[in-house]
Amino acid sequence: MSHDLEPLDPAKGAWDTKEMGRRRFLEVTFWSVTSVVTVGVVGSGGRFLVGNSLEPRTANWVQIGKIAELKVGAVNRVNYAMKATDAWREVEQKGALYAYTADGASYTVLDGSCTHLGCIVQWAASENRFRCPCHAAEFTREGEVMSGPPPKALGRLETKIQDGALFARI
Amino acid sequence: MSKIGDWIDKRTGLGGPIRGFLNYPVPKYVHQNVLYILGGLTLIMFMLQAVTGIMLAFYFDPSPEGAYNSVDFITYQLPLGWLIRGIHHYGSGAMVILVALHMLRTYFFSAYKKPREINWLTGVLLLFVTLAFGFTGYLLPWDQKGYWATRVGTQIAGSVPLIGDTLMQLMRGGPNLGQATLTRFYATHILLLPAMIALLIAVHIFQLRYHGMSPAITEKSKAQSKSFVPFFPYWVLNDAIAGLGLLALLVFLSATQRAPLEFPADPTSGNFVPRPEWYFLFYYQALKYVPGALEPVATVLIPLFIFGSMILLPFIDKGEERRPWKKPVTTIAAIFYIVVIIGFTVLAL
Repeated sequence: MSHDLEPLDPAKGAWDTKEMGRRRFLEVTFWSVTSVVTVGVVGSGGRFLVGNSLEPRTANWVQIGKIAELKVGAVNRVNYAMKATDAWREVEQKGALYAYTADGASYTVLDGSCTHLGCIVQWAASENRFRCPCHAAEFTREGEVMSGPPPKALGRLETKIQDGALFARI
Repeated sequence: MSKIGDWIDKRTGLGGPIRGFLNYPVPKYVHQNVLYILGGLTLIMFMLQAVTGIMLAFYFDPSPEGAYNSVDFITYQLPLGWLIRGIHHYGSGAMVILVALHMLRTYFFSAYKKPREINWLTGVLLLFVTLAFGFTGYLLPWDQKGYWATRVGTQIAGSVPLIGDTLMQLMRGGPNLGQATLTRFYATHILLLPAMIALLIAVHIFQLRYHGMSPAITEKSKAQSKSFVPFFPYWVLNDAIAGLGLLALLVFLSATQRAPLEFPADPTSGNFVPRPEWYFLFYYQALKYVPGALEPVATVLIPLFIFGSMILLPFIDKGEERRPWKKPVTTIAAIFYIVVIIGFTVLAL
């Protein structure tokens, strides 16, 4: 971009030569102030838009069922609901889990979300495996990947038994 | 010019530019080739989306509790709600098809070559903004399809190495899909993307007018390239007729088949098979073939490669040749992509 000014039509007038001496100074001042303000606007605007979306998720113990109601030797599908804060709303956060016990004493609780892209896996009892309906992934009863695209095993949740009920940390 | 027109022109200075715009000389080979209506038709489709979108915003409730019911109300109870939402819904698919066809026309006529590189680049960005409109739009009814497509779509961003998790949470507005996600997508869909697309369309059309139509490629059209007709009414009428046909088609589709609304979003749903909108199906299908460890290849590298090659195209293919039958490399590459995209889409149906 040329910094030289085209001479004006003499009939119209002429550039004020006295003013031109500080033209560069005024330009530098303008761009400096603009840069500082831009950094401020972009920085605070960005912070505003990020909001609290990056706050780590908090884990809670959630009751997922009475021990007596969970079948031994079979994979039990459990839907849970817990009170959670969703931005400015208090909501019932819902999800699907799978609980398995061979002996009624120790439990394996798996997060039903496929580790590939988050669809809920289904237990196919006749084939003894979990299947993801989205991209055809398969997992063993313990949640290990058998085939398909998932990068890792299904999430295994910490569990505890209290007052005859099974709890998982979600 | 009428007295009133003259008065306004003296005060605004707009008469000259408007006359220049309307009397722009269009070469006869362009006016007579039906493929050249695709750009204008895409613009008409966008205007229909803008108008119906503004209307829908009068009734839409952007909250997880209210969104579904408000869309249900629009579709089944509001007078002509089926029509406005129908046009908006089917229009989004038409928009993707038209952008793609317009791009293929540009590609096969080598219209991206010097000095029209910026026009091609704004076109590539317009394609991605159109897809972003689709992606942010179909979450809004908060039904099963929108919910799960968004859950999968944002998790695709989550598979980006190192920054994936942060990116996913930024898109969702938190670790899970919820109120923050819906408001984010809504604001993006109705404010941010429209601002971006308006700016890009303005640059795109200004570039078109600045450089004029790209040169004729066949002998027959070269013979007509010295003969012109004014933009208005000749070309405008072509586009307007095509636009009316498009509108009639959208009304027909809306009337015969209501714009779909599935069951309300259910994060625990066990028997729902999530599938994206048809124009993302090929990608959904492609993701099935990539094993876990290579996931970022499918979710990051391949999309980046495709986007990158589209951006770089006018800087790589710099030869004088514009006839597609004399340019086997670009022609075969395009046919390969078309076959792969259609093939994967068919497999996913």
